[in-house]
Amino acid sequence: MLLAACGQEKQTNEIRFAITQAPLNLDPRYATDAASERVNRLIYQRLVEFDTTSKPTPSLATWRKISPIQYRFTLNNDIALFHHGKPLTSEDVKATYESLLALKDSPHAAEFRNINDINIVNQQTLDFKLTIADTHFPEKLIIGVLPKDLIEQQHDFTHKPVGNGLFEFVFWERELTLKRLSDGQVLMLAEVKDPTVRVLKLMRGETDLLQGDLPPELVKYLQKQPDLQVKTTQGTNFSYLGLNMQDLILKQLNVRQALAHAIDRKAIVNQVMVRDTRLAAVILPPEHYAGNAELKHIEYNPVLSKQLLQSAGIELPLKLIYKTSTDAQRVRLATILQAQMAQAGIALEIRSLDWGTFFAEVKQGNFQLYGLTWVGIETPEIYSKVFGSQFMPPNGFNRGRYIDAELDALLLKEDWPAVTARIHQQLPYIPLWYEGQVAVMQKNITDYAPQSDGNWDDLATIKRSATIRHDAH
Amino acid sequence: MISRLFQFFTVIFGVLVLTFLLIHLVPGDPVEVMLGESASMADREALREQLGLNQPLLTQFGGYLNKLAHGDLGRSIHTKTPIIELFKTRYPASVQLAFLSMLIGLLIGVPLGIYAALKAGRWQDIIVTVVSVRLSAMPAFWLGPMLMLVFAVWLGWLPVSGMSEPAAIILPALTLGFGLSAILTRMTRTSLLEVLNEDFIRTARAKGLSERDVIIRHALRAALLPIVTIVGLQMGSLLAGTVITETIFSWDGIGRLLVESIEKRDYPVTQACVLAVALSYVVINFITDMVYRLVDPRMRSGNS
Repeated sequence: MLLAACGQEKQTNEIRFAITQAPLNLDPRYATDAASERVNRLIYQRLVEFDTTSKPTPSLATWRKISPIQYRFTLNNDIALFHHGKPLTSEDVKATYESLLALKDSPHAAEFRNINDINIVNQQTLDFKLTIADTHFPEKLIIGVLPKDLIEQQHDFTHKPVGNGLFEFVFWERELTLKRLSDGQVLMLAEVKDPTVRVLKLMRGETDLLQGDLPPELVKYLQKQPDLQVKTTQGTNFSYLGLNMQDLILKQLNVRQALAHAIDRKAIVNQVMVRDTRLAAVILPPEHYAGNAELKHIEYNPVLSKQLLQSAGIELPLKLIYKTSTDAQRVRLATILQAQMAQAGIALEIRSLDWGTFFAEVKQGNFQLYGLTWVGIETPEIYSKVFGSQFMPPNGFNRGRYIDAELDALLLKEDWPAVTARIHQQLPYIPLWYEGQVAVMQKNITDYAPQSDGNWDDLATIKRSATIRHDAH
Repeated sequence: MISRLFQFFTVIFGVLVLTFLLIHLVPGDPVEVMLGESASMADREALREQLGLNQPLLTQFGGYLNKLAHGDLGRSIHTKTPIIELFKTRYPASVQLAFLSMLIGLLIGVPLGIYAALKAGRWQDIIVTVVSVRLSAMPAFWLGPMLMLVFAVWLGWLPVSGMSEPAAIILPALTLGFGLSAILTRMTRTSLLEVLNEDFIRTARAKGLSERDVIIRHALRAALLPIVTIVGLQMGSLLAGTVITETIFSWDGIGRLLVESIEKRDYPVTQACVLAVALSYVVINFITDMVYRLVDPRMRSGNS
């Protein structure tokens, strides 16, 4: 009887979302993990957003360049109040960015060190004065705006966020509870790490929605379930193989080309990736204003690959070490790459490490090959930070220690077609794919679809058409 | 007793020194974890100074002990939550799961072990042996989802995972309890079989005691020592957290916290978790020693 009582579904109308990783920090001045950033987009608003080609567009404010080192931002008239009832003014924007700069332990502070001064013009207008001219400055202003009075009170935004976004924070212990202001819809986000368990919870009716991080075989299984619906969309998160350009073998272009031709991307995408995964050529997708639709995908050709290695004077089999995390899908991909590369005379040794160790090794340059994904990249500055010779760790993301004077010159000119063509030709990264995004939900959930970068912005519109009771199957 | 207490505090101090040193010796840097890859050297140095990481190791250790003495375990690098607050929810969750799992293990394992010993060599013994070997061979990452499938999805009796309702503890406790019961069955059977061949059991039977009294009052009590040892060791492991089970069932215990902190290089949390785990082991061993004395009179008189 007790068990039967336990099994009864709650007749509540909240929408439950099972996520892979709980947010770590809901203070936008600290948040760096994907889950926190996705939730913060719901709770806070920011000065700038991005359009479908990833060009910066006004969100809370419009802007104009007064001089190369001065930008004026004017807040819109119809801005929502903060969740504690106060209006959002230029004072709050100033307080947000000044408090960020004052934080010694914020991972975002370095991005704004170029701000020399922030001047309030009036309640709706403020000027950012820079030390050095930066044409991309406006698109960096994507930190959620916090209320000045709470900043001064040293409010705990990490655990009790207060913004002026579409969702208001309600409670956060094991689950994060948010309430949509427009209609009072309650949303509960709970961390469920294991993909099989997430699926079981969906089938049992304990959760309404899952997104991403599902092996394709589970997605195929879910597509056959009559009570569930599966939605996919093209992704923009770029998966790649990173190469150590200081390595005597890998610094040879022929070897990098050989590696690129040794991977049958189409087979992998068709067999083990979710639907809507597409092949990639460079970090930013073709629809991005700094992407390049002209670039051709590198064809799978193990014979050519072998020839390239032999022309470089490499004795076969070429032994290389590939580092990856312990994530099951990552390890699976590694074994596929290993099998494919063997056809081209490349003996890939897989070293699967726990995430912390793996990422530390990548940052230290302690690798030959590794596999990773860039998530949620919007600005073309990424090309400089990843391939610019001035951006080697600890000053940037050039983890492969790539040095190319010609590329540096193109990056300075911001000639994106030439930059992307050069990267594609030189292959400091071996491009793989933009993984498709997938969301699985109960049949009665409407107005939700996964977004290309995996964000959860559609929670702003999600609805439950009617409450159903889930009996045991 | 005094020597036991002295050992207890020596071990704790040793653990403190080791965890402090290990965290400072492993590759990686809390400053890098906090600031990411794009911070300048000046930013890094400023934070290092703020955190006191530029001070001599001995000074840092002194500061660490001083904070510990005041109940301050530090804060998580990522969530900024005081670690003591994390422990307030995580540790009781692990304790609850550990005790219920152990209870299930004992309720199944000890009676089955006694039964197998009494039927030694017969078909009942073979069946119990086969079942217990099978149970101990089932990994939590397989057994857990199977239990979920049957009891949550098919029968709809229990929640799949999480901690939002009291019944959510049943499946993780069964997952752990089944494995424990297998070990306890084997141990009880072996231990009891050894005791049943002892002279004092023959004497008890010769005195005309009923078989029930012989088993319960004489044999089982003598056979308890190895069982208590196993229970103590297993309890230590359970309190240290059972990472796989906690992860599968989204059970917010100490083991999951430890592993997550290692993955995220959240050094203060890792340090505090290791300390808590070590403390759990030491306390459980201490309690196990006390139980020995209760069970075996020879221990009380110091003759063992």
